[in-house]
Amino acid sequence: MAMKALDIYKLLPKTNCKKCGFPTCLAFAMKLASGKVDVDLCPDLDEQTRELLGGATRPPIRLVAIGAGERSFTVGEEFVLYRHERTFYHQPGLMMQVADTWPEERIEGVVARVRDETFHRVGEDLSVDGIAFRWESGDADRFGGVVGTVEACASVPEVIIADDPEAQAAALAHCGNFQPLIHAACADTAEAMCDLARKYGCALAVRAGDLEELKRLVGLCRDRGVENLMLDPAPATLRDFLARSVEIRRRAVERTDPDLGYPVVFDTVPLGLPDAATALGILKYAGVIIIDELGPASTMAALTLRQNIYTDPQKPIQVTPGLYPVNAPTGSAPVLMTVNFSLTYFTLLGYLEAAGIPCYLFIVDTEGMSVLTAVAGGKLTETLVADAIKTTELENRVDHRVLIIPGYAAPLSGKIEEETGWEVRVGPGDAAEIGEYLETGWEA
Amino acid sequence: MSEEHNPEPGNRILEVRLGATKAEGGTRERVYTVGGAGTFPFLGAGPAAGHPPRIALEICDDTRTWSPIVLREVGDLAEDTGAWAAAAETTFGADMVRLSFTSTRQRGFDDFASLGTTVEEVIGATKYPLIVEGSTEPAIDSEVYRRIGEAAEGERVLLGTAEADRYRSVAASALAYGHAVVAQTPIDINLAKQLNILLHETALPPERIVIDPYTGTLGYGFEYSYSVMERIRSVALQGDADLARPMISSAIDSLNVKEVREADPETADEVAIRWEFYAAFSALIAGAEIVCVRHPGTVALLREALRALLEGSHPQEEAYGDESA
Ligand code: B12
Ligand code: SF4
Repeated sequence: MAMKALDIYKLLPKTNCKKCGFPTCLAFAMKLASGKVDVDLCPDLDEQTRELLGGATRPPIRLVAIGAGERSFTVGEEFVLYRHERTFYHQPGLMMQVADTWPEERIEGVVARVRDETFHRVGEDLSVDGIAFRWESGDADRFGGVVGTVEACASVPEVIIADDPEAQAAALAHCGNFQPLIHAACADTAEAMCDLARKYGCALAVRAGDLEELKRLVGLCRDRGVENLMLDPAPATLRDFLARSVEIRRRAVERTDPDLGYPVVFDTVPLGLPDAATALGILKYAGVIIIDELGPASTMAALTLRQNIYTDPQKPIQVTPGLYPVNAPTGSAPVLMTVNFSLTYFTLLGYLEAAGIPCYLFIVDTEGMSVLTAVAGGKLTETLVADAIKTTELENRVDHRVLIIPGYAAPLSGKIEEETGWEVRVGPGDAAEIGEYLETGWEA
Repeated sequence: MSEEHNPEPGNRILEVRLGATKAEGGTRERVYTVGGAGTFPFLGAGPAAGHPPRIALEICDDTRTWSPIVLREVGDLAEDTGAWAAAAETTFGADMVRLSFTSTRQRGFDDFASLGTTVEEVIGATKYPLIVEGSTEPAIDSEVYRRIGEAAEGERVLLGTAEADRYRSVAASALAYGHAVVAQTPIDINLAKQLNILLHETALPPERIVIDPYTGTLGYGFEYSYSVMERIRSVALQGDADLARPMISSAIDSLNVKEVREADPETADEVAIRWEFYAAFSALIAGAEIVCVRHPGTVALLREALRALLEGSHPQEEAYGDESA
């Protein structure tokens, strides 16, 4: 079970010696309780206390790294079942599969997409994370050959899907040094798979439909020296995955079953229903999701869902308030007021850049609230605007006194005019119309 | 850790009945019960699983603000509300139609008689329960909801939408003509609770209320909606009776977002369908009992996904067909 800061404090030496890097034992206890530091930082604990505190304060789900280099990623180290309880930290890696029986062009097509395709949303580049190689041919050499060919032209994280240690060995001979995920060990193959995982220092997935069997496999692998493990609950349906993944996460974060404290792998391909399975994996705790060739529309929607679900619920993605020149404006350029919610900023910026009209974006601090939300919640006010005009020295930056405000902020136009002395023009509600508005309607 | 993870045994989401058969004074060949679950979505079996969620296809009586992608897809149907509604059930495979009276959104709307006529037309053309959306303008609410409610008398439609500052007309109509009500609040669990209490004071029975916690579409606030639905379900199962109601989710802005609007015409349907699907599917996982979409192509995808989530948990006839018997 997780421990509260005060209970932890009672077990610390209470000398406030600062060797842990925190000013007091209590400060350290609070960090421990939130799972943010390791108990080993305090050198003055006896073995028993160390173990007790370690079990209660270490992240309940192990952090596992997949891949090497720029696009490598980590999963695990999650603390909650619901994002509203805190946040989710490590978004799942989406791994698009290729099979070794496919014609070369088809494999190349997928590899090129994974390597090159990105979507831009809210200032972030979103892309599929890596490639999953599926052994279908029954021929270990052929499998190794395919992995080798791809390896030569794309350095992205990988999953090697083969239940046969020989096929794994053939693939790992080409890519083992780049930390692929080995998928997956079962009772018969655990020993051989562990040897491979140790040899290359890779993470290893264990696979079983039954949670007790999963735990047994975990124990087996740990005994053979492999700690970087992932769990594949071998679902036959969406319903299976949901039930098993939720149960694994629940027991892990409640710390009732430390053997289930590993991130989950979800191989969606055998289930069909690629969109539903991918969405389910994103929502319900998968750390690695093996996906089929999703079309671009599905990929974009899936990546957007992942971005949404892994946003910290306590703080919307924000931009720094201030005055932003767009398209090289001069002193006579229009000033467009908006809020500091990232989504608003990037949406607006997209349209302004497309229109090519020089202007200033004047961003006020609404604590990351969108226009309508800020107006409704009282986060956008005339005094806020007046203060922002002063701090940005707007009066010295432009040679006119006209402020264009968002259509949805129209109810504030009179008050802003009174408070600032600037002439206020109400722009369109929809940013898509901003180009046309500036071309036809704006004159200082 | 958090006690929220484990529902209190015995707590259940209230059941809401939609539609009325001949024997009950309506004309529906199918009626639905939504709600009833005692667990988080799709985790229970038997009685604790509650009733299966429903997929509604949204249509409207004035297409001027409707997505051009959908209008292209449905073609002439858009000109004939009755035929569009019938196709939603038969061709597109929806569990129910959500008819939105977009005509009432135009300035100076006063053609109240047309509302009753359209409701009758749609009732005549369909066999399953209905959701009907009225105006959003307090000045005409009373007349709009009276006409709609009256024309659908006895059919037990789900009538929308009640909001904190304008719920009386909807509630009055539901009470007078025997309908249920959609209660919408902007993504906030306390506001949702308050509105239910307000509605309770109008004497509308709790088993005639469906909560709409408001769905920001994918990429545009969806994360807030997703979490508020999870929270509502969670506290409901902890025993908060004011929130133990079925939820409805409609990401009404799905087809207006940049990604969909600006999709190239050849892939626009594909993009629209996926954008709707990812939000609606996620809403189901978060606890929505009714999900609403506008592109006919989204319905089939949702249907397949639901089938895989429900497998084995419900009697076949309830999951996919008539439960009025
Ligand atoms: C997500 C969301 C939230 C999130 C906040 C997200 C955030 N970071 O802002 C949360 C859950 C916290 C929230 C809270 C509230 N919300 Co809210 N929320 C939404 C939702 C679903 C989406 C908002 C969004 O992200 N929009 C997308 C961004 C990009 O839009 P935007 O900032 O307006 O920018 C667009 C335009 O304004 C324009 N634009 C922007 N800048 C400029 C500048 C110029 C010059 C021009 C010309 C144009 C322009 O371009 C953009 C693209 O078109 C909306 C519904 C909706 N459809 O808008 C409700 C909504 C805005 N919320 C609403 C309400 C009432 C609230 C609350 C008051 C409720 C409460 N709990 O008390 C609170 C207030 C928060 C607070 N206490 O401060 C209402 C507002 C009602 C009204 N008409 O006034 C809405 C409309 C929902 C509804 N229908 O009831 N909300
Ligand atoms: S090192 Fe240990 S004893 Fe010293 S302040 Fe930190 S917790 Fe306390």
